[in-house]
Amino acid sequence: MPKTRINTLTVALLVLFCSTQAIGQSIRVFIHISDASNLEVQDASININQKKYKADSSGNATVFLSPGHYIVNITSINHFPYFLNLATRADTSLNIIMRLRESLLGNVTVTGSRNIDRNEMSVQTINASQLRKLPVVLGEIDPLKTITLLPGIKNGGEAGAGIYVRGGGPDQNLILLDGISVYNPNHLLGFFSIFNGEAVKNVEVIKGGIPAQYGGRLSSVIAIDTRAGNKDSIKASGGIGLISSRLSVEGPLIKGKSSFIVSARRTYIDQVAHVVAANRIGGNGYFFYDINAKADYIINASNQLLFTFYTGRDKFSFQDPNGARNGRNTVFNTYWGNTLAGLSWRQQLTKKLVQETAVVFNNFSLDSHYGYSTNNFLFTSGLQDIQLKDDWTLNRNNWLKFKFGALHIWHRFTPGAGSYATGVQEFKSQISNQYAREAAAYLSADINVTPRLNIIAGFRESYFNQVGPTQRVVYNSEGVPTGEVQQFKRGESIAKYYYPEPRLNILYKLPNTSSFKLSYTRTIQYLQLATTSAATFPSDLWIPSSKTIRPSNAQQLAFGYFKNYENVWEASIETYYKVMNNQIEFRPGAQLLLNQNIEGEMIFGSGKAYGAEFFLQKKRGKLTGWIGYTLSRAERKFPQLNEGKAYPYRYDRTHDLSIVASYPLNTKWEASAVFVYGTGNALTLPTGRFTYNLGYNPGSSRPVFTNINQYSSVNNYRMPAYHRLDISFTYTHHPNSTRRFNSSWNLSVYNVYNRSNPYFIYFEANEDLQTIRGKKVYLFPIVPSVTWNFKFK
Amino acid sequence: MKKLSRNIKLFLTPFQGHSRPGIANSPLSIDHSPLTIHLLVLLYSCFLLTSCEKDFNIKIEAGKPQLVVEAYINNQMREYNYVILSRSLDYLSPNFQSTPVSKASVFITEGEIINNKYSWNQASRVQLVEVNLPMIPANFTSGIYFDTLLMTNAQHALLGAAGKSYLLEITEGDNQYSAVTTLLPPVPIDSLTVGFPYIDENDDNNTKVRITNHYKDPDTLNNTQFYYYRFFENRNSFGWGGLSKSRTGGTDDLTNGQYIHLTHPRGFAAPDTINYFMASVTRDVYNFWDSYNKARDNNGPFATPVTLSSNIQGTNVTGCFTGLSLSSKTIILRK
Repeated sequence: MPKTRINTLTVALLVLFCSTQAIGQSIRVFIHISDASNLEVQDASININQKKYKADSSGNATVFLSPGHYIVNITSINHFPYFLNLATRADTSLNIIMRLRESLLGNVTVTGSRNIDRNEMSVQTINASQLRKLPVVLGEIDPLKTITLLPGIKNGGEAGAGIYVRGGGPDQNLILLDGISVYNPNHLLGFFSIFNGEAVKNVEVIKGGIPAQYGGRLSSVIAIDTRAGNKDSIKASGGIGLISSRLSVEGPLIKGKSSFIVSARRTYIDQVAHVVAANRIGGNGYFFYDINAKADYIINASNQLLFTFYTGRDKFSFQDPNGARNGRNTVFNTYWGNTLAGLSWRQQLTKKLVQETAVVFNNFSLDSHYGYSTNNFLFTSGLQDIQLKDDWTLNRNNWLKFKFGALHIWHRFTPGAGSYATGVQEFKSQISNQYAREAAAYLSADINVTPRLNIIAGFRESYFNQVGPTQRVVYNSEGVPTGEVQQFKRGESIAKYYYPEPRLNILYKLPNTSSFKLSYTRTIQYLQLATTSAATFPSDLWIPSSKTIRPSNAQQLAFGYFKNYENVWEASIETYYKVMNNQIEFRPGAQLLLNQNIEGEMIFGSGKAYGAEFFLQKKRGKLTGWIGYTLSRAERKFPQLNEGKAYPYRYDRTHDLSIVASYPLNTKWEASAVFVYGTGNALTLPTGRFTYNLGYNPGSSRPVFTNINQYSSVNNYRMPAYHRLDISFTYTHHPNSTRRFNSSWNLSVYNVYNRSNPYFIYFEANEDLQTIRGKKVYLFPIVPSVTWNFKFK
Repeated sequence: MKKLSRNIKLFLTPFQGHSRPGIANSPLSIDHSPLTIHLLVLLYSCFLLTSCEKDFNIKIEAGKPQLVVEAYINNQMREYNYVILSRSLDYLSPNFQSTPVSKASVFITEGEIINNKYSWNQASRVQLVEVNLPMIPANFTSGIYFDTLLMTNAQHALLGAAGKSYLLEITEGDNQYSAVTTLLPPVPIDSLTVGFPYIDENDDNNTKVRITNHYKDPDTLNNTQFYYYRFFENRNSFGWGGLSKSRTGGTDDLTNGQYIHLTHPRGFAAPDTINYFMASVTRDVYNFWDSYNKARDNNGPFATPVTLSSNIQGTNVTGCFTGLSLSSKTIILRK
């Protein structure tokens, strides 16, 4: 690498002294590597006097050296290499800023995942720059949509936000926003996720071999990290899109020590609809907004505070425009959303010991008012968490590393309060609140048994205790209240569970830049999402384990082979087998809100999923991208459904293919394309039909029949295969500009060849023509969109 | 390529229901959620330029035909104690009326519950047969079974009594089916009042009023009511299909023992005479009609395959023997 390039690097080097004298012979050198946008550079290679080290996925590395002179050479994919002469005699922190190599956006690569050296399998990460350049519908960057381009991770369809990892349900993903779990990650029935692309730094998905520090959900960990603010100067960035706009402001609170970032987004989908479809939208109004904020404070070289905040609300309103005229006034207003806040303190206690303590608050609430004619309903429901957690990392020596910690969550469930007024009548009802304690402790050891063999063995013990105060109305097996009401005092134990959750990852490196990995994961889930539908609704409820509802559990065994080709190509094959028990379904048509016998509406069964995932990625060169293919099967089995026989899960997808490619056309233009193909969802369609409730139309003097469908088996029908091609072009007018203001355009075309992928299918019955015809409704034919993004440095 | 208008109409139909507070038909129930409906309307509006529908050839397997039983017994109106038998169709069959089932033998026997066991009074056993009564809707002539006394001695035809149980027995070919329903003690209507007037611009600017039913929910749990009204519009056709299009109530799980003032949204214009009926039903009957309300018009992206909660015993059979324990009052609106 020519040395002259070093001069062209826009680098800043900040050396923070640690005044303490080096103890003994070794000194600690902490290296943090980020890029000019303050995004951490993951997995950089660090070469110090010809000895190799590796930074972690947060851009951090700690090395121990003797006092003296060193030549430090740091390299990373997509960045210009960085050289540094280091003379040190005391513990030192280096803050390195690397410059992106090829374009403002970097290459589309899934980083940190398939490296043959890392003993973590089934882990994949996508960073913000990749999110920004891939084509998306209506220009809305959505991390939860983009991760479904990775093998083993599926979405529910065109507009569903549900994520299905290796045959698991949408509530089986531990979705973490900066480490805080999010209960409802969607806006607008799942068309958009709550994660603002402007604030997101990267998204990591762990679909198997889940480390012991994570728990509480069966199938995956989806960790969304937001970026930290710039510590040196005020900066702004944002984007204006077709249906929403976003703005982000960041800067120092105390220069060099403390920073903030605030990102906000609001949609104007209702305003757009008023313009393009004024008649159709009628009295409907809808918008959502969300705000992400983060602040950090480096107290000293060993202590750091981090504060994260998110709040978002959806507001929907409807006023029947004809209501005043015909006396049937219909009004509907509802608000729902999450508020999350977390404060964490990271502390370097000794050279080898790090601890992080966090206190987290999480609230989801729904308030709605529904008025129809003389009836008025008010509903509220919600869930609040207060969580305290403490995580420790001990780097005992080069071959042994420990992670351990504990957490405690206090859950409060407010499943529904309703009040109702009709005419002169009023009534108030309250479904009893429920309370629960959830706790876990874990220990995991990362052992380099030989230079080729690494084992990470973890053990997690989790505990759940539903406690009073609450009251429980006792129902008999036919769903009839017995008149008995059980009262539980404050703190009184109602149901208690504790389970061991062993975790194991084994890596064996082969001499030819390839490796085998094997993992076993057992997971327990104590909260279940009550939903009867394919879409996620704000009215969905999280329900705690109780005497009747046993915690669900899963075991997964995965085996993989990983191979690198000259650090340009990365390939892997993973196979998995997963069994899930105590799965919950609701009886079809179950009533979820304001139902004090919700447990009586549940049925319990099991699930099974297995498959093979193939992944080939090109990480370097002009053309970058990946091909992911999954061959899989997911089943469910419930004694009360399908005559007790196993049936395909709704999102069982035999074939699932994603091709993602990106290519810079010149310094200003960059093109990206995405192709997806997936087997259609399984559906239950009626096999018979009859009329019931013979009525009589007084106007026509003819009988009126009501059609009722008859079903014989579950998920007996397959939707047609889903496939689609999207392309996008990013135009940066001044790619190498050093001016403070810079902007780019993203032009994307969704569904280029106009495939009509059905959103749903239904039957249209025409009694006059005596026909029943199938119809398919599809949402997006070819959809072009444009987004303008800007940065103010 | 057709735009989505019909479909939206389809989604909006569930609003016609009306409910009492409680579990059934609460506004956010998943299957008929107005939130869902409105969000969908909004979404389709937003994607007006894009979202479309097309004809689609769906091949589905044929299920086994089922016997469908629609049977009623009440304590006030003898002509509405009847049984309709039909057979279900293949889903894609061009027929819109189930095939009537004729020549079945149908019996109803009265009895009571003694020591938690039914004791049937064989002397009360009545055979219901297919007859053509003048009030049967046109072009629906077979498969409806009545007590023949309705034609000859109507005052002594089959009538339910509060507190009694009824056994329905059906023999059709080699198959036998049975069901039991009980008429609960009727809940009295304290009074009916009128109020909440409005001008209906869609109906000749008539002033309309609404009816409020005042009654006390019994102190015992598990009381459910249905409500019906006979007025000028349905005076001649009232009674078909569980007295009329059912206006199901909820259970009293959350409102047990409360004094209820229930105002129906339907407006009535003077002059009119309204016969108002409140029916108390057992839980199995409530569950059937609750599932029925969820099952009808169940079509769309969030449709769930609802199966009716039948109370008929036998194989390959569905339906309900509905016992309606009625209390009633009449209100006269004068100009």
